[in-house]
Formats: sequence, structure tokens, C-alpha cells
Amino acid sequence: MAFEELLEDPVVQTYLHELVGPRGMPVAAAPPDGEVTDEELAEDLDLELNDVRRALFILYENDLASYRRLRDEDSGWLTYLWTFEYGKVPEQLEGEMHKLVDALEARREYERDNEFYLCEGEGVRYEFAEAMDFGFECPDGSPMEPMDNGHLVEAIDRRLAELRNELNVEIEA
Amino acid sequence: MSMATAEEDLSADERAGLALVRESGGIHQSDFWKELDVNSRKGSRIVESLLEKGFVEREDTVYNGHNTYYITLPARDRDFSLLLAGDMLSPFIGDDITPRSDSFSRWIMNLAYEEYNDI
Repeated sequence: MAFEELLEDPVVQTYLHELVGPRGMPVAAAPPDGEVTDEELAEDLDLELNDVRRALFILYENDLASYRRLRDEDSGWLTYLWTFEYGKVPEQLEGEMHKLVDALEARREYERDNEFYLCEGEGVRYEFAEAMDFGFECPDGSPMEPMDNGHLVEAIDRRLAELRNELNVEIEA
Repeated sequence: MSMATAEEDLSADERAGLALVRESGGIHQSDFWKELDVNSRKGSRIVESLLEKGFVEREDTVYNGHNTYYITLPARDRDFSLLLAGDMLSPFIGDDITPRSDSFSRWIMNLAYEEYNDI
């Protein structure tokens, strides 16, 4: 198997699982060295060919697998030879960390700029304008309660600081 | 992915250089040798060697009006667990969502109440 060290990282495993789903995971979690056909994988892993193909295609779409086609001279059939390209996983995860920084910054602003009201019964949070439209009354007739989101903002700040430190990015002015 | 050279096998100069890159998170080559208190030729030899052994990466850049390099750690050295809140992965992976999406709300709730339950 290739990329063993990389695949030991639980985040990498979760990442692959997120992409290919539970049925594709046996394919994604055991990349062979060199080229392989979908049929070989299905046989080695004792999986349905369709599940193998689906997983390979998702990996291909995410730039984590490539293929080349060979035509059998006699039958005219095409064979796909697949290569796993997991060397790109660290760069992709690093890209996801940058994406998360941007999202947390935007979310922080939204949390700071808005007041929220909570309906405990349904566990739903409303922005001030929405709450006003409902006359600060929940669907079950109980009054909406103002919600202090300081805790969330603090958690966002903490993770932002950790991410910026890890990625060595400056705080946006 | 396996590294050709183990960290223990680096020379003392290389180890000092690597420590400097780690500490700074990223550094211009023109600052690198000054901080290490070596001359520029020796500085660039240390960088070349660390590059060759896969411990650092570098890109061309212009800094203070001069062409130099920016030296960073390879992406594989990042702490990817910062993408997790509890055991939930960043919902931006594989999905097209916005910072106000419900799945991101759940991720932040996880962060605030599960991972940072000391706040």
C-alpha cells in the first residue's frame, strides 16, 4: 500500500470519508502502489464494481486520482488504469484551512453585528429583524429570549488565532 | 511521503535553520542568514540542503526591492486537526456552503461547547 504515513492521520481519513462516503472508503483507504484497474480493486477488496468506480470517480474529480485509457487491440475494449495521487492531500487540506479562516472571519462579523433571539422549545435562533416580525413570540406562544452569543464569538476567535498562527497569516485590517 | 533523511541526521546548522523556519512560520532568505548569523553563501547552502531533503519549500519573491526567496514548511507539516471541531470536519470540504449555513453553525457550536468547553 502507498501513502501509509499520510493515511495514519485521522484528519486525512475523515477527509477521504467525507469525499467518498462509507461505501467508497475501502477504495480510498487502501491506495495500491502504481496503476490498478477498477476490476482489480473490486476483486481485491471484495466490492461491487459500481462502488469502486464511483469512489474512483470522486477521487478523480477532487484531483486525488488520475487514469489513462488503454484499448485492447483485439476486442476494442477500453481499460482504465488508475493511479492514486495522494501526494496532493496536504496542499488540499492546507487550502481548506485557508478557506476556514475566511469563513470564520465572515461569521465572526455576522455574530458581532447582529442580535439574536432564541426559541428554546424548537432550538431555533432568530435575527433581531426576524424576531421583531414575529413580535418576539415563538411558534408555541412562549416569548423569545435574547441570546448571548459571546461564547460563540470567543470560540471563533480562539480557533482563528490558532489557524492564523499555524498558517502564518496576518490579521485582516 | 517517507522522508529520505531523518531529522536527527541533519547537521547542527541545518537543524538551527529548520528551527528558525518553524519558529517564524515562514521567512525570507535574506533574513534567514542574518538571523542565523552566517554569511549569505552559507545561508543559501543550508537552505538548498534542507530543500533537497524535503524539510522546507521555497518560492521566488520580491522583498525590500530585491529578488529573494520565501522559505516555508511543506504543507504536510501543518496541524490539520484545526479543521475539526470535536470530531466534525470543516463543512466547507466537499460542499458548497456559506459562512451562515446551518452546517457551519453546527460546526461552531461543536467548537464552542465540545472542544473549548473551558470557555
